[in-house]
Parts: sequence; C-alpha cells; structure tokens
Amino acid sequence: MQNLKILVVDDDPVTLTLLQKRLKKEDYEVETAIDGVSAIELINANYYDVILTDLMMPGGVDGIGVLEAAKKINIKTEVILITAHGSVDNAIKAMKKGAADYLQKPVNLDEVLLRMEKIRSMKMLLKNANDLRDAMDITEQTSAETIQNLELALSEMEKLFTKVKTILAMEDVPAKERIALALEKL
Amino acid sequence: MVKIKPDEINLLSKYIYDISGINIDNTKAYLLETRLGKLLETDNCSTYKDLYYAARKDPSKILEKKIIDAITTNETLFFRDSSPFELLKYKIVPEIIDARSNPNSRQVTSSIRIWSAACSTGQELYSIAITLKELLFDVYKYRINLLGTDISNAAVAQACAGVYKKFEIERGLPPDKLKKYFSPNGIGWKIKDDIRKMATFKTLNLLEQFNYIGKFDIIFCRNVAIYFTLEDRKKLFNRIAEVLEPDGFLIIGSTESLTGVCPRFVPKRHLKSIFYQLK
Repeated sequence: MQNLKILVVDDDPVTLTLLQKRLKKEDYEVETAIDGVSAIELINANYYDVILTDLMMPGGVDGIGVLEAAKKINIKTEVILITAHGSVDNAIKAMKKGAADYLQKPVNLDEVLLRMEKIRSMKMLLKNANDLRDAMDITEQTSAETIQNLELALSEMEKLFTKVKTILAMEDVPAKERIALALEKL
Repeated sequence: MVKIKPDEINLLSKYIYDISGINIDNTKAYLLETRLGKLLETDNCSTYKDLYYAARKDPSKILEKKIIDAITTNETLFFRDSSPFELLKYKIVPEIIDARSNPNSRQVTSSIRIWSAACSTGQELYSIAITLKELLFDVYKYRINLLGTDISNAAVAQACAGVYKKFEIERGLPPDKLKKYFSPNGIGWKIKDDIRKMATFKTLNLLEQFNYIGKFDIIFCRNVAIYFTLEDRKKLFNRIAEVLEPDGFLIIGSTESLTGVCPRFVPKRHLKSIFYQLK
C-alpha cells in the first residue's frame, strides 16, 4: 500500500514544522495547515488518510470542528487529536465523535510514528479484506450465472420429460405412434 | 492456541450438528479451531473435550448459545448482491401488491408478509425495508410485515438494536442511503426509527418446526442452507414450501440451487435474477 497522506494542523509553527519534518523523514506525504479554517479548505480540496490536529486552535474552528468536517467529507479519513496535558475529557469526547486516537502534549514524536504505523496497518488490513470480498464477489457472480442457467435448463428438461412420459403412457395410441410423438417433442 | 484432536473433531461436529444443523465435515475442522478457540479461554476450558462437556452440562444453555454464536457465519452486507433487491422492487412487490389489492379501491386487503429466514445481524431485512420505503410512497399504508429470524441470539440482538460498526456498513451501502436511513451512533451508525419499526426479529432454528410463524408472501432464504446436509436442505425447503403463499416468491442465494432438493418449487427468471414459485 502507498504511504499515508497526512495533514498536520497546529497553530504553533514550531510544532507544525517539527511534525512535518519527522513524518516526511519516514516517507509519509505531509501537508500542513496553520489553523482549523485553512485545514477545512484543504480537506475540501484533497483526500487525506490521516489528519493530525491540535484540539485548541484560534479562528473559530477547533480540532473537533476539523474532525467533524473531515468525517463528513470522507468517513475513511482517520483523525488524531493533540490535546493539552490534562484535558482527557475533551479527547474522549473527540473519540466518541469518531477520532481514531489522541495524543497528549508535549507530543512525543516516536509515539506519533507508532500511531501512524498502527493506522497504516489497519488500513492495509481493511484493504486486504475489501480485496478479498471483491474477489469473492466476482467468483460468486460467475458461478451464480452458471448455476442459474443450469437450474433453468434442468427445469425445462424436467417439463419436457414429463410431457414425453405422458405421451408414452397414452394407452389408446399405438406404441409406434406414441414413440413418434415422443421423439417429436425431443 | 490449543490444537483440536481428531476425536474432539468428531465429538464437536456432531454436537454442533445437533444444536444448529450446521454440518462441519472433516475438511472444515479448522473452523472449529478458529471459531471456538476463543471460548476455551473465556470459559476456562483447557481442551475442546472440556468445552463440549461444559456445554452439555450447562442447564442454562448459555454456553450452547455461545457456541452457536461463534460457529455461525455472519458475513452479510447491506444490499449484498444487488439483484434480489432489484427483483423485489421491479417485479415481486408490485405483483404482490396487485394480487393483494382490491381492483376497485386499490386498497390492500390483506397484510403483506416478508420473511428473512437467516437474517444474521439484520442487514438483509433492513435492506428490504429500505427498498420498500423507496418504492412505495406511503409504505405504512400497505400493512407490510417484515420478520427476520436467525439461530444466533447475538446476531438477533444486534439486528434488534440496529447498530452497526463502521466497517459493517461502509461497503454495500451507498453514502446517500447511509445518510438518509442511519444516524451516527458513537463510532458507528444506527438505523433510523422509521425503518427500525417496520421490522421484527426473533431467534429461530430452521431445522426445527416453524409453521407456527404463519404464511409469507415473500421469503428470503439466502446462503444458509449451504451449511446443511442435503437431507436437511430437503426438509428445510419442504417446510418453506408449507409457509409460502401459493402465489408467493422465494429467493435463495445466487449460487444456490434447488435442483434435487425440492421439486415443489420451479425456478423463474426475471432479467438477471432467479426466483422460485410453487408449482
């Protein structure tokens, strides 16, 4: 699977650059936004596998706002919230709204990478399951066609045999004629 | 993981057959390990034999139910294979409504009953409900009665709740239908009340007598008989024939066949789908 496309959202330029550099080093494709409003503009225009966003941001759109917008546009986007130390309540609120995970400040970069790796493997598993289902669907469709055609052909054949049986059982018709009539049906 | 021994395979396959009718032959013995393995841990059994005796000895039958829940396959999707629902929409429901309506007043004179015979976690029955809701302007006026049954209590409980996880719903269900008929529920989705109230769910073992459930105009019995022996399949479809209205419709799984199973049904084609009616 291709590497994840990640959007990092934080109003602190230092954290933003730090996260961007570290994630890029791991070959992730990274874009950044300096607040919730510009994050939503980007989400509207591009698909991201993961959005890593600060919870508290100025400008009227906070991390929850980013989460809600992202989930509305594409449910497949996973969102990780970064919360201030001690604001677990908010983080849990976010998880209930569909966030994949949360991290507490100060952000430990190794932890970020571990979370990304977890999401990557989860997405791979999901893709694998979907591929298997696709393969199963194709097999099922093809065999369904064969089976259904056979089912109808057999049913027609059965009708024919019943007719032939009835003809052969007609006692008032001479045997030779019965056979001729039956052969005609076949 | 605890390995299952050959004598345990026989013991458990026979037990599972007795309680559920599901036929696990030796080639599918791995199913016992993958599906029952977890029960060994949760129910403190060190071997499969222990699990068997614990289940047999349990008068509450809780363990028996857990085994049924674990062994049944709940692979199901909303609108799994779209053709039966197209068939329902364009052929079956219009015909049944016509047949059950007074030609003068256009009012339905009797209720229309639909049965999803192995409903699993409810996706099939709710897909039927959604199809009907989209087809009929005022669905409630038609006195439509939807019943879903399954052998697994856990599956029936989930169907009743109508709550689905993300991955159970994203495939098969188009986003517009998801938004229209479901509301977000924590990290999953919940079927909306107007669809939920159209359906009733019950636990039922298809290999036991079920004529007490009454007669149906439309029966869905898809991808469940494949787990039964030929003899049990014969019994099942004969019993289904008993509870299907004379002009009713039966839909089976797209890769299933009734040839050599039940001569009382004849297959008929509508566009790309097959349905069955009584002879």
